[in-house]
Amino acid sequence: MTPTLVKTVRATVRSWPGVLSLTVLLGITAAALAAPILSLPDPADMAFDLYQPPSSSFWLGTDNFGRDIFSRVVWGARVALMVAIGAALLSILIGSALGAVAGYFGGWIDGLLSRIFDIFLLIPTFFLILLIVALFGASLPLTIIAIALTTWPRSARLMRSQVLTLKSRVYVQAALAAGAPHWWVIVRHVIPNGIAPIITDGTILMGMAILTEAGLSFLGLGDQNMVSWGSMIFEGQRHLRLAPWMSIAPGVALLMLVASLNLLGDSVNFAMNPQLRTRGGAPKRRASVAPPKGEGPATEETPILQVEDLRLEYTVGNRRIAAVDGVSFSLPRGGALGIVGESGCGKSSLGSALLQTMPNNAELTAGNVRYDGRAIILGGKPVVEGGRSRIDALRWTRIATIFQSAMNALNPVTTVRRQMMDALRLHRPGISRADATDRISEVFDMIGIPRSRMNAYPHQLSGGMRQRAMIALSLILEPELVIADEPTTALDMLIQDQILGEIADLRERLNLSLILVSHDMGAVAESCEVVAVMYAGRIVEIAPTRRIFDNPAHPYSRTLIGALPSLTGPLEKLESLPATDTAAAAAATGCRFAHACLAATDLCRKTTPPAMNLGGGHVCECHYAEDFAAETAADKREVRA
Amino acid sequence: MRLLRYFLYRVMQMFPIALFIVIINFALIHMAPGDVSILLAGEGADPEYMASVRQSYGLDKPLYQQLGAYIGQLLQGDLGLSFRTREPVIGIIAERVPATLLLAGTALVLASVLGVVIGSFMARRPGSALDTAVTTLSISLFSIPVFWLGLMLILLFAVTLRWLPSSGMMSIAGPREGIGFVLDVAKHMILPVISLSAVWLGQYVRLARSSVSETLAEPYVTTARAIGFPERRVMTRFALRNAMLPIVTVLGLELGLLLSGAVLTETVFSWPGLGRLIYEAILSRDTPVIMGAFLIMSFTVMLAALVTDLLYATLDPRVRL
Repeated sequence: MTPTLVKTVRATVRSWPGVLSLTVLLGITAAALAAPILSLPDPADMAFDLYQPPSSSFWLGTDNFGRDIFSRVVWGARVALMVAIGAALLSILIGSALGAVAGYFGGWIDGLLSRIFDIFLLIPTFFLILLIVALFGASLPLTIIAIALTTWPRSARLMRSQVLTLKSRVYVQAALAAGAPHWWVIVRHVIPNGIAPIITDGTILMGMAILTEAGLSFLGLGDQNMVSWGSMIFEGQRHLRLAPWMSIAPGVALLMLVASLNLLGDSVNFAMNPQLRTRGGAPKRRASVAPPKGEGPATEETPILQVEDLRLEYTVGNRRIAAVDGVSFSLPRGGALGIVGESGCGKSSLGSALLQTMPNNAELTAGNVRYDGRAIILGGKPVVEGGRSRIDALRWTRIATIFQSAMNALNPVTTVRRQMMDALRLHRPGISRADATDRISEVFDMIGIPRSRMNAYPHQLSGGMRQRAMIALSLILEPELVIADEPTTALDMLIQDQILGEIADLRERLNLSLILVSHDMGAVAESCEVVAVMYAGRIVEIAPTRRIFDNPAHPYSRTLIGALPSLTGPLEKLESLPATDTAAAAAATGCRFAHACLAATDLCRKTTPPAMNLGGGHVCECHYAEDFAAETAADKREVRA
Repeated sequence: MRLLRYFLYRVMQMFPIALFIVIINFALIHMAPGDVSILLAGEGADPEYMASVRQSYGLDKPLYQQLGAYIGQLLQGDLGLSFRTREPVIGIIAERVPATLLLAGTALVLASVLGVVIGSFMARRPGSALDTAVTTLSISLFSIPVFWLGLMLILLFAVTLRWLPSSGMMSIAGPREGIGFVLDVAKHMILPVISLSAVWLGQYVRLARSSVSETLAEPYVTTARAIGFPERRVMTRFALRNAMLPIVTVLGLELGLLLSGAVLTETVFSWPGLGRLIYEAILSRDTPVIMGAFLIMSFTVMLAALVTDLLYATLDPRVRL
């Protein structure tokens, strides 16, 4: 038993549909296995009175030949399970083998087999099975084979895609390099590792097989020598008025068996991919607060954005993880702040918190956010004024955002122009078509997208153009503050540089305030006056850009900048940091960075470092901030001298 | 222009598939136990008719010529003669198509529209108690054998309550024209449509639920919310619009399954469509009709796939040649 398998089984039996379906399945299987030794009347024995309704002696009544229906239902379970297991096994066997071959060898073999899978997908299988059984004579084995022969492409397609991802894995490549023959690699490494989704699909296949057999029997193409639930309903149909119990019982049995198979497949599927159950959704309603009294009017000096002690927690399973853990900063009007850190440090969560677009499993648990002196978040709750959330009133007209566009940030089925038009008309309902088009052209010119590309769909644009389109969309309503979340990631260096240059340029021209979230120190250096370095949910250092490059006071900032910390050893050792488990780092006492810091002392491991104010807007959360800051400056002097 | 080219391309792709289906049909009849001429002409057919069947199918010639003759006949729309009625199979089938279309089409529209509405609604609150309950219920729905559901509906609404007719498409002495006729047919349709669409509703609810909840997690939905679009518009213009792509594909692909459900439903309700025809053909071992029905069903599904593709191409600008 592999750990994933154990986990899957455990998760399955924890959900109530999983338990329910397993219980029903085990019950039916037990009854089917025990049928010969349960002292039931012979299901074919016409020994009793005809058309007896259910009673204590005939639990489910008797049929038109005086046979005991309960006994027939129990024996029918054997046929149903035989069909299910036989057809599914055979189908999966053929399908996985062919799918594995297609995916593994690729090329023309894959082309040919994939073509065949596609053709089978278009054949109405039930009619093909019906034709086969009608031509070759009704018998259970033939039905099973016919079902398998028409359903195998299901498993084949699944296995093919599994193999395509598996074959590049290290262990497969290693086995091949060691000289193992192809068939051995497929059988030993590829199929066992790719079989999980096929097994899940197998439960659905079993349900389909049972229903197909029942359907055939109902059309009179059932095996005459076996008791099948389908043929029982076929017979019961003619006596529906006189003896409805003849058709009710086998139908309920069919429904229970097939439903539990489908339900089990569904539960296992969810157990393997838990995010399937909770991903997406509409934003949930969150508790809100009224605006505070006595908010003075904003002045020239009022920062455009003020964040105090903001805290954002994700709920993952039973765990709560603080991705943003007490973050404070303030952005002056027209200023630009860069937020830098490795992935998972909480910088994007911070961005989503400011815009209040975080996913449903995230929650602001504390902190205040003020926009232009007016609170939009108080104590972690959105401020609602006149029935409308204050952030909603700011959206796009005053705060806009630039997402990483390579990640599908634009609607793929709508032209770029149309998306800008929609945003424009949403916020300026009165605007005429012509004016809107003018405004869109204006923004396009400003961003450097040729007007001819206006009617393009996002997929028709290059990566750089798509990112420019995203920027254009963000500027269409002339916002004051733009939050750019990794705007240049996934673009090549040259385009990255161009786009960053354009953002910096636009900022100056339009007097924008900017928050630039990035993992790349270099990216923020160009466009921001102030840089905040985030680590494990906190801003560990914040300083004017020059300062942070010249005198980084936090060991983590130094590694980001790539400065050589002379006290703490050679560069190579610092460049590859151990991966940070934000949750673990936040839970530990002492400094969050201590586990990876080469200069860490007992003090660091025991006591949380205070925020050390180094003057000139330079704040750093490190016990030795002053020493580090001074040392770097000293080095600099040395180098210059 | 783009669409037309795409359409022609897809039509071209259908030819090998059609050929493949015809060959399956041909192979099956030759592999089946018993004499091919008897299978095609019916047991106890008079020698004269038997000879004409041998002649038209070229049964004395080598196999590949037989295949050629068979394809030639199909191209002329000749699916052989039913040996029960000695009428051309193509005519018998054509007669039955409208009834099946009416039943399956109504059920398809009903189930898919309702399914998409319910499914998208559930996608708004994934993982909630209601969502789990509806998911479980829809799984149970499509686990019901459709013919059994039909029987139970007859038992309840026709036999016990006597509200609705239990079989046929129209009353024997009912009106044959005007609004009265329409109402009469509608009344006969209620139970079969409910059986067929109930089973498919479960399928479509699940399908819509999973595709909409998937699109709701996409970055462009976050963009839409950041822009400030009201949630209803986010749902329709962004989530549902993109979720339609997988939904349409699966709808097209599963038409074959829907048709098999229709056949079983028709059998239960004696609905005078293709399903009933197949059932009668099975009972009287009328092979040419069964083969013809399989061919027609296959071509219908292919046609549906073509329409689906075209619909997909209009919905998704990323489809290109």
